[in-house]
Amino acid sequence: MRLPRFFSKKRGHRRTGSQVWGSVGEALFHAALVVAGVAFGGLLVTGIAVPEWRINHDFVESRGTVVGRGLARRSTGADGASWQPSIRLRYVVGAETLEAWAFDGPRETDRSRALERLDRTRLGEERICWYDPAKPADVVISRGYNWWMWALTLLLPGALLAFGGAGLFRSLGRWGRSEERQAAAGLRPRDSLADEPTLTHGHPGVPSCDDLVNSPGTILRYRLPIESPESWNLLGLGLFAALWNAVVVLLAVNAGLDLLGGRIDWLLLAVLVPFVVVGVAGVVAFTRSLVLATAVGTTQLEISAHPLRPGGTYEALLAQGGSGAFRELEMSLELEERATFRQGTDTRTERLVVWKSPLGSWQGLQLTPGTRFEARATIHVPATAMHSFASEHNAVNWRIVIRGRPARWPAFTRAFPVVVFPPAAGDPAA
Amino acid sequence: MTNLPDPIRQSPSVTVHFCTADRRYKPLDSIAVRYEVDLSPGQMVRAVERSIVWYTEGKGEEDIGVHFFERLTDRATAQAMSGSFGGRLPASPLSYEGVIVKIRWCVRVRLFFDAGRDFVSEHVFDLGSVPAAAFPLRS
Repeated sequence: MRLPRFFSKKRGHRRTGSQVWGSVGEALFHAALVVAGVAFGGLLVTGIAVPEWRINHDFVESRGTVVGRGLARRSTGADGASWQPSIRLRYVVGAETLEAWAFDGPRETDRSRALERLDRTRLGEERICWYDPAKPADVVISRGYNWWMWALTLLLPGALLAFGGAGLFRSLGRWGRSEERQAAAGLRPRDSLADEPTLTHGHPGVPSCDDLVNSPGTILRYRLPIESPESWNLLGLGLFAALWNAVVVLLAVNAGLDLLGGRIDWLLLAVLVPFVVVGVAGVVAFTRSLVLATAVGTTQLEISAHPLRPGGTYEALLAQGGSGAFRELEMSLELEERATFRQGTDTRTERLVVWKSPLGSWQGLQLTPGTRFEARATIHVPATAMHSFASEHNAVNWRIVIRGRPARWPAFTRAFPVVVFPPAAGDPAA
Repeated sequence: MTNLPDPIRQSPSVTVHFCTADRRYKPLDSIAVRYEVDLSPGQMVRAVERSIVWYTEGKGEEDIGVHFFERLTDRATAQAMSGSFGGRLPASPLSYEGVIVKIRWCVRVRLFFDAGRDFVSEHVFDLGSVPAAAFPLRS
């Protein structure tokens, strides 16, 4: 018998793990989750659910006399303990009189509170009790269900069983099947970190342009949505600055309270100083990005038709708002390839512009508030152009890119994605 | 000298004939494929899978799309030494020779042997005529 190899060569030029061993590992992982779910569920059912169910259904009611009382102590750690009031009951089972201890209510971590509760029970008083017909020495003085415990009994093992079972089912479904068969049956493993593209019906692999044609233009037919990496950077910086400074405030409040109490925690102060420096730097970086994003004004782009087709000619309208001087504003049509791959435990995405066509360039602009610079350009998509393509890990994207160089601010880039469809049937470009 | 079997001689060979000489098709064209299998003596096929698929190649993880898939498990059909299949190709995705993303179309014939192993024969063809991307940038 020949074991599968641990490493096999992938298409491309990288060496990756063996698919067979990967499937074995995945199946074992999910099987382990199922086993853990069964074991954990079994423990909870036999240890909690079944005893509680028997107390409420099988135990026989009786009346008992309190003949003793005390506190049951349970150690909860190195120095801690909990206390539970307990009473000794004398009760009759058939012709026999028995005596046994029963817990009276929940545990207390405070011994004095437990004693206080215990004092409410008088020796000689009568209490209703329930004993186990199979083992009459087991007696309780209260019944009912602990619903939190039942929810825990169902929830945790249920989640393990559902997640593990579904994964095991998928792994077994893929076992021994070729990648074509898996793909045809929709059983290919999904990458949870990769984007699932929305595709155009009737055009496999071509991304949908529904989100690009739902905004009408003021002069041309559609106003294209912007895909600006600056917006994401701004959002990321803002989140970072907010979260980091929240931690700084917590540390500073603790340090301040210590100082007010006459104590100085040097370790806390030593940690606080670099945290404050990073927090201030985060706020400065966010403020700078916010000023840059808003100072140069908005960029809008309208287009005469969408989606585009190879060989087609379209009209575009660029509108740049804001104030101040611009050294240059240029517009280009670009084709960008995007590949997402795993490197160790990281998921990385690489982008590369492989084709670029200048559409227009304007120098020495002077913008005034309340008005906007407008320019028209003609877009010609080459007859043999590749259409837009999107799959789970790979994409070929078309976009119109605006690059600006304001006189007083750093240069900026704003991209407007467009979708190029394959040539229509009968088109000579096909 | 050892008398170990030569693994190359033990591999079957699959010859595929396309309906066009240059293996180049336009979107929505019909494709017809005929294949012939040459097995080594003693090899028994229990199933055959015939498919027309596209897959990505390059820097990213591989993605695959199945346009046509057929699995033959009837022993008589599976052991037939030749067969044909085909259909109408879709409008997309077109074959693409990018820099970090490539899209390939191919016909695959996969043989499953009684011993549990399988053998796949892949034959690439072009859908569309998109020129290869060039890098550094070409406008």
